[in-house]
Amino acid sequence: MDDAARSIAEAPLPTRRTLRARSSLPYQLMRFVAFNLRMLRMVRKGHH
Amino acid sequence: MARVVILGAGISGHTAALHLKRRLKRAHEVIVVSPNADWNWIPSNIWVGVGRMKTQQVTFPLRPVYRRKGIDFRQARAVAIRPEGEADSNSGSVDIVYTDPERLGDEERLTYDFLINATGPKLNFAATPGLGPDGNSLSVCTARHAEQTAVALEGVIGKLQHGERQTLVIGVGHGACTCEGAAFEYTFNVEHELRARGVRDLAEVVYLTNEYDLGDFGVGGMSFAQNGFITSSKMWTESLFRERNVRAVVRAHVERVEPGALHYEQLDGTKGTLAFDFAMLLPPFRGADLKAYDRQGADITADLFASNGFLKVDADYAAKPFEDWRAEDWPSTYQSPLYSNLFGVGIAFAPPHPISRPRSSPEGTVISPAPPRTGMPSGVMGRVVAHSIADRIERGETAPLHTASMASMGAACIASAGAGMRTGSAAAMTMYPIVPDTARYPVSGRSLKETTGEIGLGAHWTKLLLHYLFIYKAKGRPGWFLIPE
Repeated sequence: MDDAARSIAEAPLPTRRTLRARSSLPYQLMRFVAFNLRMLRMVRKGHH
Repeated sequence: MARVVILGAGISGHTAALHLKRRLKRAHEVIVVSPNADWNWIPSNIWVGVGRMKTQQVTFPLRPVYRRKGIDFRQARAVAIRPEGEADSNSGSVDIVYTDPERLGDEERLTYDFLINATGPKLNFAATPGLGPDGNSLSVCTARHAEQTAVALEGVIGKLQHGERQTLVIGVGHGACTCEGAAFEYTFNVEHELRARGVRDLAEVVYLTNEYDLGDFGVGGMSFAQNGFITSSKMWTESLFRERNVRAVVRAHVERVEPGALHYEQLDGTKGTLAFDFAMLLPPFRGADLKAYDRQGADITADLFASNGFLKVDADYAAKPFEDWRAEDWPSTYQSPLYSNLFGVGIAFAPPHPISRPRSSPEGTVISPAPPRTGMPSGVMGRVVAHSIADRIERGETAPLHTASMASMGAACIASAGAGMRTGSAAAMTMYPIVPDTARYPVSGRSLKETTGEIGLGAHWTKLLLHYLFIYKAKGRPGWFLIPE
């Protein structure tokens, strides 16, 4: 097993709860809004 | 009346053209020179490459948009710049050769008051023998390439459905490539597609990259503050590889691609061969083939351009070790140091150095990513240069230039990991700034508040939203300028 394979094999796996959250419609709707607001804030910060 | 000529109609050139025309109205002339008749939202090419979108959904013809906006469009390739003009003229000029079918091969010399070089990259498939659609691998760099790749993927899926094992290699085709994010996206979209079609168990998916570690993405990796810890994009990315059972070959330079097999060298000097049934490998980039001449006709290409063909701008190009790299090395106005009316934006400007630590193998092969400067930063550069030029035309040569350094600019990268309104997924990353600034952010070089990563369906919606928003914006529809770059 090479370094990359060993490193991947030791990487944390998401729990069932995390996987559910990643596809949960209400939770993802909140994340969608939060991410877009963060992106807008960051874009404003970088524009001159 | 001033004339602004823009070479290239990609994200940066097209953005610059729209902003310039909006500012200058009909009082001044804006000419766009591009060899392609269509605009392409390149980030969505990965969906064309898995058959989820058609070329028509990611491209549109430029001519009607430019006609509506009063922008002069020449479907042509720029071949030479004469920034000092000629013996009988003081105006700078650019030589173009038409690719427009109606004027194919015609040559013309266009004079300019201001010139923006936004030619984007030359896809340098020739750097690796056998690389590319004319060789033995596939690409998603253009919509046409992506369509060919989708057909090949469909063939692989057909074989899997008949019970044949298949190996799919996706990644970068040279040690000095950039755009690892796009290769990453395509890997996980293919993996998603194979699962959706019920054939994942017979397929081996391999990601081959020049990154030192997974999660580098050509920006030296990122640090995130999550659950009370500072974690790395390496761990975050490796987690996705483990979850989706994707194998990775890292620190690799592809030496050559033969039918069904590629040969690579790794940073520690080991050599390997990887057999494949399907290989999508991105090419390295270099600057467009543009020459430059002074007033007497002497070749000044090496003065204007870096050796990789990208235009030198207001960056610090002095060679220095990685430890001495500073945020201030990066350009902010994108103005040529030699000619004040010449600018380089998007991929066409020469970066002062990479962002990831440069590394080479014992044989001296460079195996580290070139800095990405596509998407969001390209659009911002196009916009600030458009405003700088409009100010100088309206207020004179002393008008201050607008600035947008990649060391003070953030970026969002939405790496799709599968399509579908209910089943899609993407890795959404924001980073601020793009170029790490350890003087301002000693812990990781970037703001831990603004540098984030998350995976989920919501990120896929964001990628889809950006697809429609940016195509709307690029078409110059009402209110286009309210959508930030």
